[in-house]
Amino acid sequence: AEVEETLKRIQAHRGVIATIVVNAEGIPIRTTLDNSTTVQYAGLLHQLTTKARSTVRDIDPQNDLTFLRIRSKKHEIMVAPDKEYLLIVIQNPCE
Amino acid sequence: ARFHGNRRSGWREPPLAAMFAGRTAPGADVESLWRSARSARCEAKSCQTGKISTAETAVQSHTSRDAGVQTDQSKDAVQDFQQEIQVDYTSLLSFLQRVEDAVIKELNKNWKSRAFDGFEVNWTDQNETVLCLHTLSYPEAQDQNLQVTSVSWNATGSVVACSYGRLDAGDWSTEKSYVCTWNLDRRGLNPQRPDVVVDVPSSVMCLAFHPSQPSLIAGGLFSGELVVWDTGRTEDPVIWRTGLTDDTHTDPVYQVNWLPDAKHRNHARLLSVSTDGKILVWREERDGRLALAEGFAVVAQQIPRNTQLKKFAWGEAAVGVTSLSFSHFDPRVFVVGVEGGYSLKCSTAAETLALHRTGSSVPLRAPAELAFSPHGGLVYSVSCSPFHRQVLNLFLSCGTDGQVHLHSMLQTQPLVSLQLSKKYLFCVRWSPVRPLVFAAASGEGVHLFDFEKSSQKPAASIKQAVGECPVYCFEFNVKQTRLLAAGDATGTVKVWQLSSDFTEQGPREMNHLEQLASEITD
Repeated sequence: AEVEETLKRIQAHRGVIATIVVNAEGIPIRTTLDNSTTVQYAGLLHQLTTKARSTVRDIDPQNDLTFLRIRSKKHEIMVAPDKEYLLIVIQNPCE
Repeated sequence: ARFHGNRRSGWREPPLAAMFAGRTAPGADVESLWRSARSARCEAKSCQTGKISTAETAVQSHTSRDAGVQTDQSKDAVQDFQQEIQVDYTSLLSFLQRVEDAVIKELNKNWKSRAFDGFEVNWTDQNETVLCLHTLSYPEAQDQNLQVTSVSWNATGSVVACSYGRLDAGDWSTEKSYVCTWNLDRRGLNPQRPDVVVDVPSSVMCLAFHPSQPSLIAGGLFSGELVVWDTGRTEDPVIWRTGLTDDTHTDPVYQVNWLPDAKHRNHARLLSVSTDGKILVWREERDGRLALAEGFAVVAQQIPRNTQLKKFAWGEAAVGVTSLSFSHFDPRVFVVGVEGGYSLKCSTAAETLALHRTGSSVPLRAPAELAFSPHGGLVYSVSCSPFHRQVLNLFLSCGTDGQVHLHSMLQTQPLVSLQLSKKYLFCVRWSPVRPLVFAAASGEGVHLFDFEKSSQKPAASIKQAVGECPVYCFEFNVKQTRLLAAGDATGTVKVWQLSSDFTEQGPREMNHLEQLASEITD
């Protein structure tokens, strides 16, 4: 469906290693990785996103989280949060 | 029967003479009570502890949710799980459409960004220097002028063992030797007194600790035998040995390795390599014997001739094997270094039988598939990189010409040739944590090489001792990655702590290494 096409477009971008869509309960519903790794990423990033969002709102209740990026030695994890879903994209920004 | 004097019953103690007279006494009658007992009332007695009052109180966590399970789920189970989830496609689609642009914008920005170039974070204390943590030796062995021929770390990384022997013994040696172990994590560590000392009647040339059982250690002897010791046993530590049979090597064993046994998980097999040209695999038999399971023999005539090799004067000469290293990606592929100065790529799946190898209980096969371009002298050590992909499997070889060759398994010419020393190089090993780092042992000490810093000269040179002190063997500690143990000609084992730049993987080291390898192959 169109959902798959959109995900394919994101996955095809330069350097993208993996794409995961997680629902509001932290359960992965679409993924390009193997199951155990997906479950790990989904659980951990769901918790981190919730924490990041509450941090932003605690500092300023009028503010809200729009995007979360974690840069590590090996790659960058990007999380686009929403009320019902979470889009996780892992990219290797190889220069 | 003798009755006790009992005041209550009114008996008086009978006179002594009467006590031993023969007499029959009437038996004692006890009336049976069961008829009356049947109708007796039984009462349940209470137990000692009083009744415990229980009440439902609240649970601490008010919501619970299934998180991931530790046990591996079967593929089918997880698929069902995914299908059970109701996905509302319209809302999912609208979500994706909302975020797609933002995400793609960030992906593009990331690709072009130079913001993090050269940006590195230090999470641990940076240790700049290489320190000598321990200097271990066994004075009795040193008094006999024995050298350290091999060192090995055990499965847990806290015990280091060394073997004493002589590397320059020539062809005939009846020296006895020792295997000593020290537990570095013990509080009462005495560097001059090993925790365990095993007396061995012949010179031990190589050692290898078992990869998972921390007390088992295998050694190859000058006589060609293999022995396995259990350092946990106090009376007789020998648990298996090959003995001197027709199958045993006829030359000293220069390297011994443990091979994981595919069929029996708990049993490992032993592999031994010797200058008689044979590579033998042994399995454990019940009576403490090691029996030959399979074997290979390297014969000059069967080496693939695609490089200029010195012609041997005698036709089917055995080619002495000095070292061996298994590929980390294909367990059937291994590399051996031979006395002639070249390395051979071999396979355990080879089928052709070796020529001129009679007298062995198991038929020996010829394993060589490819011969690499030779060194100027004999090869002492080879080591396969634990980081490379199957496509570009790299290995190092070093020898008496003082050079280290970096080879790819795909081509015969070396990728890089480094002249590290004017003297012999006895041992070369890849670092277990940094793909670009390797170390080589020479007449002066251990040289650490980092391809990231320089591809021409060593990043650090650890001098083993003041004055001339060749290091014959060294091993990286796989569990405690900062440690390196090096054994030298004076009979001392030094445990070095490496600086952090040798133990922490850089941001894109794997990419650098692949880049380096492909640059050179082009």
